[in-house]
Amino acid sequence: MSTQLHSSSAITIRSLSKHYGGLAALDDFSLEVERGSIFGLLGPNGAGKTTLIRILTTLMRQSSGEVRVEGLDPRTHGREIRSLIGVVSQENSLDRYLTARENLELHARLHGMDAGRYRRRIDDLMELMGLSGRQHDLPESYSGGMQRRLVIVRALLHEPRLLFLDEPTTGLDPQSRRAVWEYISSIAGSMTIFLTTHYLEEAEHLCDRIAIMDHGRLIALGSSQELKDKLTGGTVYQIEFNDQVGRYAGLLGGMACVREMQVSGQTVCVGLESWECLSEVVTALNGASVRRISLKERTLEDVFMDLTGKGVRE
Amino acid sequence: MILRGSLAIWRRDMLVLRRSILSELVAVVAYPLTIYLAFGIGMKGYIGLVDGVPYALFIAPGLITMTAVNAAYNESVWSLWFHRRVQFTIESYRVTPISVSEIVIAKILSGFSHGLIKGLVVGLVIFAITPFRFPSENLVAYLAFLVPGSALFSCAGVICGTVMDKPETIGKVEAVFVMPLIFMSGLFFPLSSYPAAVIPWVRALPTTALFEGARQALVAGDLPYAFLGQVMVTALLVFIAAVWIFRWKLSE
Repeated sequence: MSTQLHSSSAITIRSLSKHYGGLAALDDFSLEVERGSIFGLLGPNGAGKTTLIRILTTLMRQSSGEVRVEGLDPRTHGREIRSLIGVVSQENSLDRYLTARENLELHARLHGMDAGRYRRRIDDLMELMGLSGRQHDLPESYSGGMQRRLVIVRALLHEPRLLFLDEPTTGLDPQSRRAVWEYISSIAGSMTIFLTTHYLEEAEHLCDRIAIMDHGRLIALGSSQELKDKLTGGTVYQIEFNDQVGRYAGLLGGMACVREMQVSGQTVCVGLESWECLSEVVTALNGASVRRISLKERTLEDVFMDLTGKGVRE
Repeated sequence: MILRGSLAIWRRDMLVLRRSILSELVAVVAYPLTIYLAFGIGMKGYIGLVDGVPYALFIAPGLITMTAVNAAYNESVWSLWFHRRVQFTIESYRVTPISVSEIVIAKILSGFSHGLIKGLVVGLVIFAITPFRFPSENLVAYLAFLVPGSALFSCAGVICGTVMDKPETIGKVEAVFVMPLIFMSGLFFPLSSYPAAVIPWVRALPTTALFEGARQALVAGDLPYAFLGQVMVTALLVFIAAVWIFRWKLSE
């Protein structure tokens, strides 16, 4: 297959599979990531996210299928791909025997940067991330948020075209998480960002497009809003009655534009085909003792739970 | 440049060694020096000459060599295990444009450097406290053994640090395999002390070639080529095995 395959995309994946013995970590997985976008990959534990990232970052080979990273095949152009990508792994992987600056200098040398260039770049990035004052300290003396920022600086040092962020804010307090989000937002557009996260709010806040995977397969793809619209079937309203809930629930249940309905106490939750159906519902409820009608916003978490189930994964 | 990554990682390891050199050397010198004082000086009145040389002189080359190869082995095995399993720095090296071979060569070089530096320091201490002096050609011949010997044990350390995931296993291998190999290779006694049937087997060990060859080189100024060749060939084979095993393990 030509290395020119979908060269306008930062990442192209076609029918990718990875098997560990009889276990399929990735199963006929296909995906396209546009250049310059922030792409989010969601999935429960064991969904195959880490395996996918390891293949994309050349740490692992697929069993079958095709992958292109910046138009290059990881099986044959590993070194070239690694010079184009930055990786923030789940573990901080900082060298605790080197100062923050020495950590960055080592990384720059591994990328073959010359001293003049990397010294300036380190100064700039440390300043930008608010770490300048602590650059000669060991990372162990840093807070969790500072360590994470240092790992991000390390991944950006060689000015990669594609940045992989594998759960970049796991374990951080809300302030540190916000700081990382702000920085990721600030560099958006200058490079492609491929993000995995367990925080659905994070994906919603940062990502242009989101993929949800489970059991090694892609099960949904789109923007946050598209996923909510497509997968939850339009709009959901909560209608709270003063009395005769059963009667009105029966009436609503018989309406063609009501896709789903749940009764809880005095409240009936109805999912409508579209918001235009609301007037039809209001007309049907003429004379009913309605205390309140409110729009229930679907969240990305609702979508995620609908698609991947509520069971706890090992 | 193909070894750019190796050089960068080796520089990192040497920077860390430089920072802790004093405490490292105190710990490294203490053990062989204690043995030397206890056996070489404490027992010399009882043992006298061995193979025609004073016992304190007989064991000195072996203790220096033991320090060097132990340091090389320990640096490689623990460094690799720590960077792979605890600090995950190997993972961070692997997403840069260097090859897996460059990483393993760096770790072998670092172990070798540790071994050489620590062995030479112990040598200087032993020479400082004893009246024995050697011609410079003896020292060069001795280095001809110390260099491949340190490389051999550094490669062995890389193999163990690569395949062993539990620290207690590393300790067990050292106690059951590495130390007996060193001690049974004529470090404290001549090979002639073994029963005749056992001697060919002991002589076939690369550690025997290393310790016997190193002693002959330092004490008598000989350069036993058979021993030297055996050490070098073994070092080369273990080097190839170390690179292959490391690559295989990381591709899992």
